[in-house]
Amino acid sequence: MNLAHLHLLLNHFPIIGTVVGVGLFLFSLAGKNDDLKRASLIIFAVMALLSLPTFFSGVGAEGAIVELPGVSNVLIDRHEGAAILALFFMEITGALSLAGLWQSHKVSRPARWNVASVLLFSLITVGLMARVGTTGGDVRHPEIRASADPAANEGTLGSIVQAFEPSPAKFTKLMTADKYWWAFMMDMHFIGLIMIIGAVGALDLRMLGFAKALPIASVHRLVPWALAGFAINVTTGVLAFIGMPAFYTYDIAFWIKIFAVLLLGLNAAAFYLTDTFKVVEHMGPGEDAPPSAKFIAASSLVLWLGVITLGRYIQLYQSTISTR
Amino acid sequence: MALPLFLRSIEESSFSTWLRETESPFGFYFVLLFHTFGLALLVGANALVDLRLLGFSPSIPLAPLKRFFRIMWIGFGINATTGVLLLISYPTKAVTNPVFYAKLIMIGFAIWILTKLQKEVFADTTATEADMMARGASLAKWSLALWVGAISAGRLLAYTFKHILYPF
Repeated sequence: MNLAHLHLLLNHFPIIGTVVGVGLFLFSLAGKNDDLKRASLIIFAVMALLSLPTFFSGVGAEGAIVELPGVSNVLIDRHEGAAILALFFMEITGALSLAGLWQSHKVSRPARWNVASVLLFSLITVGLMARVGTTGGDVRHPEIRASADPAANEGTLGSIVQAFEPSPAKFTKLMTADKYWWAFMMDMHFIGLIMIIGAVGALDLRMLGFAKALPIASVHRLVPWALAGFAINVTTGVLAFIGMPAFYTYDIAFWIKIFAVLLLGLNAAAFYLTDTFKVVEHMGPGEDAPPSAKFIAASSLVLWLGVITLGRYIQLYQSTISTR
Repeated sequence: MALPLFLRSIEESSFSTWLRETESPFGFYFVLLFHTFGLALLVGANALVDLRLLGFSPSIPLAPLKRFFRIMWIGFGINATTGVLLLISYPTKAVTNPVFYAKLIMIGFAIWILTKLQKEVFADTTATEADMMARGASLAKWSLALWVGAISAGRLLAYTFKHILYPF
């Protein structure tokens, strides 16, 4: 398994998963089915999460083939620009889906504005992801290209979308042009981590038995702060990656950190999609959470501390993955 | 103006040199990691209490939040210790950077406010929540502002230093 292989494996999720999500979402609207709607929001959130390692592994995939004969830098850059634009819309779809899921928890269904915006952003995402897939395929599959010429030829729709796709090289330069911009992004990354640790930490500690006088339901109301912090950190994280792609790509600490974040997604699924949350959410002051909840809370804390640790060690573990 | 020589003596000591140059993962980065843990505990817990005093998440009862002060002090202890170790690793870098002093001053005031919160708002167990919020609102605002400032100053230390080690 190398980064190129990982990229080819993961790219199926943002491209196909979003189509499945949109399909289920549309059926849920037609059938006025709230459970199905919630399931499609979960799919969008999961695809948004998986899009991150998909995007990050692209740099490694590029590194593996860029020197080979017949591989066009122009096609690679076009694919990367398409990916950046699609990632932007994918993450917004994911954020809106999490907001919708939170609303479903409070009032049994997402608000109308949320349904409308998820529909809009997910449809745009599916379209953009299709373009990412095609431009990616063009890099190594001359048999699918419209013309034999390896230069990037655009149809009408392609030319319109192209206008919105950033040049990866220019974006990278922009992120590192000013050291105070970089310092600001890192600063916001720490503020985000405090919002996450404060909210999730308080909930996890309460479930583990700390400060039992607090009712679990009230502490759980802090979760939107954690989601906001996570949104800040995904944003600053992706921008930082674009600013120094090779630095992060070939760093084992960075990849283990991303893997830990994926495990946290699994942890959240274990909490919310099983009985555990139903049992725990109405617990009042003094009540002790069941062992399954304690396990989920403990693993959540360990994983978040792991994320912080790995993040701090990125600088020390530079160039620990071979470029080949 | 020449820099005081004691900075060089600290950097040349075997402990300081070990922290900076060791291949072991338990050197400088380990200390820095625990500095991050400490701030997550201290500022995470303090921010939680501050935001509650300012009226966010009103369903959380105020009185039990008293227990979070212990977490704050544990975080502070970790950071005071790791802070000293970081200072021993790169004394010239810190002492010649005005941002470092701004950070320490903001932390000083933030901790002072923390003790005021502990003594004036949370000590009286008979006070009503409305009382506590009335007494604590202004302290909470300053606390949040100072912690955001301290964290930003801390983050900026990596980008604003004039000297990394004693210049020869």
